[in-house]
Amino acid sequence: MKQVEQLCDVMTEPGEPSFVNFENISGVPKVDDLCSASPEAVTMSDATVMLAAIKAGDSKAAEELLVIVYDELRRLAASKLAREAPGQTLQATALVHEAWLRLVGDKNPSFNDREHFFRASAEAMRRILIDRARRKHTRRHGGEYQRVDFAGFDLAAPAPMADDQLLAVDEALDKFAVEHPVQAELVKLRYFAGLTNEEVSKVLGISISTAKNYWNFSRAWLLNEIESE
Amino acid sequence: MNDEARREVAIFTQALKVAIEERAAFLDNACGGDENLRHKVEALLKAHDRVGDFLEDPPGGPSIP
Repeated sequence: MKQVEQLCDVMTEPGEPSFVNFENISGVPKVDDLCSASPEAVTMSDATVMLAAIKAGDSKAAEELLVIVYDELRRLAASKLAREAPGQTLQATALVHEAWLRLVGDKNPSFNDREHFFRASAEAMRRILIDRARRKHTRRHGGEYQRVDFAGFDLAAPAPMADDQLLAVDEALDKFAVEHPVQAELVKLRYFAGLTNEEVSKVLGISISTAKNYWNFSRAWLLNEIESE
Repeated sequence: MNDEARREVAIFTQALKVAIEERAAFLDNACGGDENLRHKVEALLKAHDRVGDFLEDPPGGPSIP
């Protein structure tokens, strides 16, 4: 990841987690032109190709889609966080929806495509957040907030407790997935990708009330697991 | 999800709808003598009582103020 300053500026309105606005921040030149000229035309077709390949039954395509989505989410996160003051944090929902628009677009959104995309996004967000938490875990030296810079990915760190919880949840989630794979997927989609119950229910092909029941079950299971460690 | 896992989810979900004073009888009946299953569901119900807003906030913290 190179200079994030060149990238499109993405900000979200508070209280509208599933909405993404392109906004010009004071002092920063408008970068709409850069957006259309940047190389994501290639990435967009890559993601679309992978989605088509998944549909056609190519088992490697899901992993390749994950890589594409992972890179895009990291890039978006870096571009977004490069503009923020210390102490502010990632908003997974906005990033995921923005990545969808940039990689696939809403021109021809098949339902299946969204499903695969959200699954890839949830796993990608999980990896990004866990990487971040692990790195900070080893580098932390006091203070509630600090900025950490790695590989051009400059992030405002949330409070240490949040990182410890994140790592504990991630570990418990691996165990959970062995016994309850569907519910573990639901947790990834809700917690890491920030999807709503309604979105989750569509991705998993379950009713909203089942999604809510699974969510209750999953939270109890994971809390019980973490506390009994 | 195997059968036991499915039962665990179903019994937990049902149990939450049962009044607390009737839960023991409900679990006796639903678990049908499977002590292991009953033990698991009881632990989950206890965890549920103190779950609060666990996992409700995204891991990145609150949205941009």
